[in-house]
Amino acid sequence: MYRSRLATLGVAALVLAACGGNGATTQEKKTELTLYNDKGAWTKFFDEMGVLSKQRIGLGMKPTGYTDSAQYQAFIKASFRTNVKPDLFTWQTGGMLEEIVKQKQVADTTAVWQEAIKAGDLSQDLATYYTIGGKQYCVPMNVAYWGMFYNKKLFDQHDLAPPQTWDELIKVADTLKQNGVKAFYHTSVLFSFVWFEQLLAGTDPDLYDRLSTGKAKYTDPGVVQVMERWKSMIDAGYFINPGDKTDPGDVLKNGKAAMVSFGTWFNTSMTQRDMKAGTDYGFFVIPNVNAALPKTSMIFESGPLCSLDKAADPEASMKYLKWWTSAEAQEKWATSRGDVSANPKVAIQDEALGAVTKDAGSGKYRLVNRYFEATPPPVLTAALDGFGKFVTEPDSYKEVLETIQKAADEYWSTHQ
Amino acid sequence: MTRSPVLGRFRHGYVAPAAILVAVLLYAPFVWTAYLSLTRYDGLEPPAWVGLDNFVKLLGDPALLTSVRNTLIWVAGTMVLPVGLGLLVAVLSYDLKGGVWYRVPFMLPYALSGAGLAMVWSPVLSHDGIANLLLGVDTAFLQEAPQNTLAMLLVWTWQQLGVNTLLFVVGLQSIPKEPIEAARLDGASGWRLFRHVIWPLMRPLTAVVVGLALVASLKTFDIVWVLTQGGPGRNSETLAVTMYKETFVASKYGYGSAVAVLLTVVTGLASYLYLRRQVR
Repeated sequence: MYRSRLATLGVAALVLAACGGNGATTQEKKTELTLYNDKGAWTKFFDEMGVLSKQRIGLGMKPTGYTDSAQYQAFIKASFRTNVKPDLFTWQTGGMLEEIVKQKQVADTTAVWQEAIKAGDLSQDLATYYTIGGKQYCVPMNVAYWGMFYNKKLFDQHDLAPPQTWDELIKVADTLKQNGVKAFYHTSVLFSFVWFEQLLAGTDPDLYDRLSTGKAKYTDPGVVQVMERWKSMIDAGYFINPGDKTDPGDVLKNGKAAMVSFGTWFNTSMTQRDMKAGTDYGFFVIPNVNAALPKTSMIFESGPLCSLDKAADPEASMKYLKWWTSAEAQEKWATSRGDVSANPKVAIQDEALGAVTKDAGSGKYRLVNRYFEATPPPVLTAALDGFGKFVTEPDSYKEVLETIQKAADEYWSTHQ
Repeated sequence: MTRSPVLGRFRHGYVAPAAILVAVLLYAPFVWTAYLSLTRYDGLEPPAWVGLDNFVKLLGDPALLTSVRNTLIWVAGTMVLPVGLGLLVAVLSYDLKGGVWYRVPFMLPYALSGAGLAMVWSPVLSHDGIANLLLGVDTAFLQEAPQNTLAMLLVWTWQQLGVNTLLFVVGLQSIPKEPIEAARLDGASGWRLFRHVIWPLMRPLTAVVVGLALVASLKTFDIVWVLTQGGPGRNSETLAVTMYKETFVASKYGYGSAVAVLLTVVTGLASYLYLRRQVR
């Protein structure tokens, strides 16, 4: 009996020892990195980057793309506590980056940034979005300037030109309406915030910034007026039905709406649909609602590419991030998607986007952080729901603002 | 009771691994969720104890009322449509020659997952969708409440009808023939035969079908998430969607866990009360 128990214990100890490893910390040397991202639709482009990096720096890269950002974020957060860790991963700037930096999960990239700025591969202005407590974290996976994509054939057909002022934009919308064409795209799902941020940033960008940091309220008169303007535009019949589930790329291509407001990354949708810039579609900067503002407000976003502080092979991850910022890598990344680049050395093929990038770099616009990054997640969730309700029931705007403010009050009461 | 000579004193050794696995994978997460429901937790910083705050907030949240209303519509609708119609199709087709061919079309959609099902119906029910085109109307099926929940309930019926029919057919085929014959000899037929003889004999199976449908409808998630994400606004949210959104979209893991606990209690209680009545 005693022997049998002893034998059982012995076997159990051996099994546990085999499962547990030897306890020594061994540094893994990787030749291929995993890149987790929430841009599942871009897998093809990530794959191409993996092939190029293998050739250039001897490090391959395999993407794992999610299409649901909530699931993706939950996975990344969970990975911090498990051994299934990504070598590289995409994230969001603003409060979300701050959160994971505070938890000491993200590798410091200050050296990469300093070197890249010195070499002219990244700009000092962009570093602001990646700086927390005086240090930089992650590198720009992409940058995007927001404006209006328009169906050029529809514009030509109705003798319209890209507007220079807000009044001209409304005139264009009126002309289209008279000819039975819906002017603008909007939706009740996810991107329901687009017109709110555009109208607020173009009316009072300071108020927009204060709202993002909890220093202003959604029920303030300035915000209410913006919602009333948005409502008047919906009531005027400028927008397509927000429940329309057609992909916005197809909306623009088919002329279901003549204009779609998105970031420059929307150009990838045009490329994927074989649409030609200047012939099939064009891009213009959306004029301010308030003509008295000194600079045109432009929504800006930059998505970070990060590595973990406790990455399996920190050296390889850092080498990859450094290469990612180089002109060679960015040339490929931007050109394959038909998008702009964070690297000023990269020549943008699309004429309109190239001009916007150049002007933005020269300080012509007031860059405003996109609502998605600028707003803390619990407030953002309430806001996306709220704007989704508003576009289907425009009369509910006051109730919507009160609901968002309630979420904001709750958040800022513990996060100021 | 005699001990099995083969299993002998090792019988616990055979059962324990499975029991431990279930405990680790099912009960431990539940206990963890129950603990999280008493904390404020964003998935990153350590959970901070807040006692019953999440539950107090939850009970005063207008979104909860909408979720409860929609969940009740799902439960009631499920009893009437997939279960009620399933019974009707089963009764009408079970003793028909070639009745199986009438049931096959109802069975096929059951092969689809909830998410796949919603993907198939999305282009049908969206504003620019096939339903509006075919009916020649301009209805926002998925936008206005409670119309959007009812539209999704029809999708759910399309999928679930077949399996309920199948279960009822099995029930009808397995009930003893003698009482039915005796009732027929006594002159019973049609509705009276069904109401007073067949229906009582099917009671054990009906309890299972209704019990399963009750639980499934209380935790409705995938169809709603794919078709409307609980919107527009929050007007088509069910309790399960509220739980997911609060936890993973808003990163309010503590509050989301409170919704999860509430949903578990409601589902457990409803199942217990129903089954207790049926099995009595």
